[in-house]
Amino acid sequence: MWRKVTPYLYLVPALAFVGFFLLAPMVRTLLYSFTDYRGLVSMNIVWLENYVAFFNDPVFLRSFLNTLVWVAATLAFPVLGGLLLALLVRGIRLEELYKFVIFLPLTISFVTTGIIWGWMFSFQLGVINRLLEAVGLASFRQPWLAQYPLNNFSMILAWTWQSTGLNMVLFLMGLTTMPNEPLEAAMIDGASRATLFRRIVLPMLRPITTVVVGIALINSFKVFDLIYVMTNGGPARKSEVLAITMFRESFTEYRMGYGAAIAIILAILILAVSTIYVRQMALKEER
Amino acid sequence: MSARMIRRAITHLVMITLVLLWILPVWSSLLMGFKTTQEYRAQQFWELPKSWAILDNLAAALSKAHLLENYFNSMLYGLVGAAGAILIAALAAYTLVWFRPRLGFLIFMVIWSGTIFPSQMYLIPLFRSFLTLHLYDTRLGMCLFYIAIAIPFSVFVFRGSFSTVPREIGEAARLDGCSNMGVLWRFVFPLSKSAVAVLLLFIFIWVWNDLIFGLVLTRSTRARPVMAALSQLIGAYTGGTNYPILMAATLFVTLPVVVLFAVLKNQFIKGLTLTTAGE
Repeated sequence: MWRKVTPYLYLVPALAFVGFFLLAPMVRTLLYSFTDYRGLVSMNIVWLENYVAFFNDPVFLRSFLNTLVWVAATLAFPVLGGLLLALLVRGIRLEELYKFVIFLPLTISFVTTGIIWGWMFSFQLGVINRLLEAVGLASFRQPWLAQYPLNNFSMILAWTWQSTGLNMVLFLMGLTTMPNEPLEAAMIDGASRATLFRRIVLPMLRPITTVVVGIALINSFKVFDLIYVMTNGGPARKSEVLAITMFRESFTEYRMGYGAAIAIILAILILAVSTIYVRQMALKEER
Repeated sequence: MSARMIRRAITHLVMITLVLLWILPVWSSLLMGFKTTQEYRAQQFWELPKSWAILDNLAAALSKAHLLENYFNSMLYGLVGAAGAILIAALAAYTLVWFRPRLGFLIFMVIWSGTIFPSQMYLIPLFRSFLTLHLYDTRLGMCLFYIAIAIPFSVFVFRGSFSTVPREIGEAARLDGCSNMGVLWRFVFPLSKSAVAVLLLFIFIWVWNDLIFGLVLTRSTRARPVMAALSQLIGAYTGGTNYPILMAATLFVTLPVVVLFAVLKNQFIKGLTLTTAGE
């Protein structure tokens, strides 16, 4: 009898921790999003007022737009770049060294990346402006982080530096697990490199591509640390993304009901993207 | 043949350029960390420092900003978070895999769902609960939280690795009178050493690098983890003349994870495979 019951008790600590620290807060965030909670004891239920207020809030709308820019840019640079690098680096001499260098930024924190790239981009003594001066392009010097929308792209460059390595390593895994026979057969048949890539390598990379793109999408919706450190959403809240806006509304402006509603929107976006994406890829596989 | 050599040469040229671009930020930051404030302002960024000011810079950062205390806080959180999550998750995964309870998959999904959502989903209620339970701005509260947030991933990893342990081992041990707990800690857990190593590494680095929970759940040096503390130095140091001090602090704080990565590179890559399999 005990033998049958005790195994269930082993689940209790895990469920208690996850329930108390993660699941309950999630439900409560949903509930708060229907209130005008401001961190005080009293609050009123306002139903969907927070969500309706989004449409008249220029900060929110710009933040939403920036989030989409980040997501699109993530697919264009770190993901595509990771794929190209994986194809380029595979099997050549010094492969391990190249991989190590490109991958290294992944281990350091976003805070560190933000500080390092804050220095790269800083106006007077920063690396990029100084390099431009050194090669006689002083007129191209920019306040890289102080001007919107330029600072969006400066930060995306830092993000690319940090996250390309992950995508490269994942694509390399996909390439290594790929069987060699179809490639060899096609090569014997005299197919060109371009055809080989389009007809054989790309289709075989599809499963890992699903994974890479899925992770990249989710991560790009979640970007917080880098922006917090580099511009803190400035100037004048113009470079905020939803993750930053939520934090700012909740813990600087103390509009926690409104902040909770932004958290919900962000969570819905992430869930929607991941389910739509997975389903679409599953359908494609079936066909 | 020569076309192939040209292609190869171009590939290497591209890769070397990229490698240099990738190193540039780290290299220029390293140099800056070694410079005095005067050198930093007078020199070009690529010029080598004449003084070895890094220790002075570091001392300034540690004494002025109390960064050392934050450093030890994060060590504590990383180790306690990893150890706690690993033990609790091993128990849960053991039941899920070996006893196959009814609704087992549902229970797994409930635990696993803790990792899908953005951190923003937890912040406000956690902040409030921590205040009412007097866990706000305490080391205990941070330890408990980091244990909790690492459990879903740990359960996921153990669920995979425990199912590769042959069941006969457990059955034989039980015939010899070994208890359920004995089977887990004496046979199943030791056979999953590589999963434990990967989890230790990943959770420690995750906790070490965490910013947002440190910002929301702590306020004072006493409990604040290192990245949250570092992030608060930025405005004060970059605007003024103390950039090298900030950089020395940044290098100091980043060192542990880079060393861990360099030493345990293969474990790290293995962990990545596990993470991606889970998404």
